[in-house]
Amino acid sequence: MIRLENVYKSYAAGHYALRGVTLEIDRGEFVFLIGSSGSGKSTLLRLLLREERADQGSVWVAGKDLSEIPSWKVPYFRRNIGSIFQDFRLLPNKSAYENVAFALEVIGKSRKTAQTQVPQILELVGLADKMHRLPHELSGGEQQRVAIARAFINRPLILLADEPTGNLDPETSWGVMRLLERINRTGTAVVMATHDVGIVDQMRRRVIEIDEGLITRDQVRGVYGLGVR
Amino acid sequence: MLPFGSCTWTRAQYRGVNDVAVSVDYVVRETAGNLWRNRLMSLAAMLTIAVSLALVGSALLIKQGVATSTIAWRGGVQLLVFMQPNASPAQNRAINVELKQMNQVQSYTYVDKAQSYQEFRRYFANQPDLLNAATESQIPPSYRVVLKNPAEAPAVGSIFNGEAGVKAVEYNSAAIRTLERVSSIAQAVIIGLAIVLLLSASVLILNVIRVAIFSRRREVMVMKLVGATNWFIRVPFMLEGFTQGVLGAVIAGGAVIGIRSLFNYLIQHYRVQLLNGFVLTGHDVLMTELVVLLIGIVVGTGGSALAVRRYLEV
Repeated sequence: MIRLENVYKSYAAGHYALRGVTLEIDRGEFVFLIGSSGSGKSTLLRLLLREERADQGSVWVAGKDLSEIPSWKVPYFRRNIGSIFQDFRLLPNKSAYENVAFALEVIGKSRKTAQTQVPQILELVGLADKMHRLPHELSGGEQQRVAIARAFINRPLILLADEPTGNLDPETSWGVMRLLERINRTGTAVVMATHDVGIVDQMRRRVIEIDEGLITRDQVRGVYGLGVR
Repeated sequence: MLPFGSCTWTRAQYRGVNDVAVSVDYVVRETAGNLWRNRLMSLAAMLTIAVSLALVGSALLIKQGVATSTIAWRGGVQLLVFMQPNASPAQNRAINVELKQMNQVQSYTYVDKAQSYQEFRRYFANQPDLLNAATESQIPPSYRVVLKNPAEAPAVGSIFNGEAGVKAVEYNSAAIRTLERVSSIAQAVIIGLAIVLLLSASVLILNVIRVAIFSRRREVMVMKLVGATNWFIRVPFMLEGFTQGVLGAVIAGGAVIGIRSLFNYLIQHYRVQLLNGFVLTGHDVLMTELVVLLIGIVVGTGGSALAVRRYLEV
């Protein structure tokens, strides 16, 4: 599903964000990406979304070599990938329903499609009764649920989550995590960058630790570990 | 909560689903919304285009009108020898030979009845009575003569005046030369002004689109996130510039029609002798309108395309 081979990426000459990363993530896996700020986690996620290109090495996502996708095809590639962020990235002047429907609309789906699918997905994330609220009328956890609904509406093969619980209190965070687990059970691979020790330690999923652009640990049922706090 | 598996659609449905490139409904709503949000700036850009295109239009009208009224004098012709409409072929031949042998003549052309009649119809297009009264057989053919030394026009002309078959001789008067010179200066000034205004209109449009892009950067970010194609993101912005260009051109088009009536009124009211043939036909006006519309489209689309290229990272 995701394969990186000896990937290098630098932003400024001589300073590498990633220095020879090789890893493989299978279909339906749930992976925590941990490491201190600036370790290269975000760069890795940006490479997977093809927001950046690797300087060296190859990045394969969903069966495609990303260096070979022409830039005009990148949008089509991104439709296979859902992504959520710490800051939710919702449109403030659109309701929860409209935010999710917008994702369908901009890839050319009809309004009718949206009318049947959006209420369903919002019900799945537990927001059936708050469909028509604006983001500022929702709690942080609820906003993140809307973002998850938007990311999942196209049933992506991969869900990338960049510190999705970074702005949420522990209890709300667990609500979001349960949602991500359920999405993972449908066969969607989840790759989540996080600093949340409690979540990583309790879920006991695969943990990949990055430090200064190198993978320093890759454990099948890992914990956050003491070294990186 | 329902399990996720209960969704009525499946992944398979999304494989190879062909997306409509850009839905018309969406583009129209986005464009209208953008224009309305930036209405003051849009209006400024539109009016600038309208004013500059109205100038371009009037320059073209002046050019066409003057060209019609001085049609016989084009190409440095200094002397016109009109033959009698019923001059015999022998008389004609005699004049032809004489012109050919004359040292002072650099070149000359013969304009036959048919061609003269066509020019006559165009020249007097706004005097229908005259047009109806004249037939092709009454129109004099003529020789258009270019001299080596323009100052010799009266001298050469007097040789032909009174010869058998010659009806009249006309010289390129100072008045005609002045008319031509004044009109070409006026055209240059007007076109120069129009170019400056068109440039500022492009910059105004570029700025309007830049503001629109900036105020919608969040939407653009989300669109990229969920896989909207580059053109899907670009088209509404470009269409916004296109619309401003077209609306500006439409206003200018109205102005061009007004300017035409103004010219016609002035010429008829003041009976300007020299501008007798300053006729603007429907065809002239139509061509002018098309040029105005085309420039409007180019400026509008060009300005917004530049803004999209420079400020919209997709």
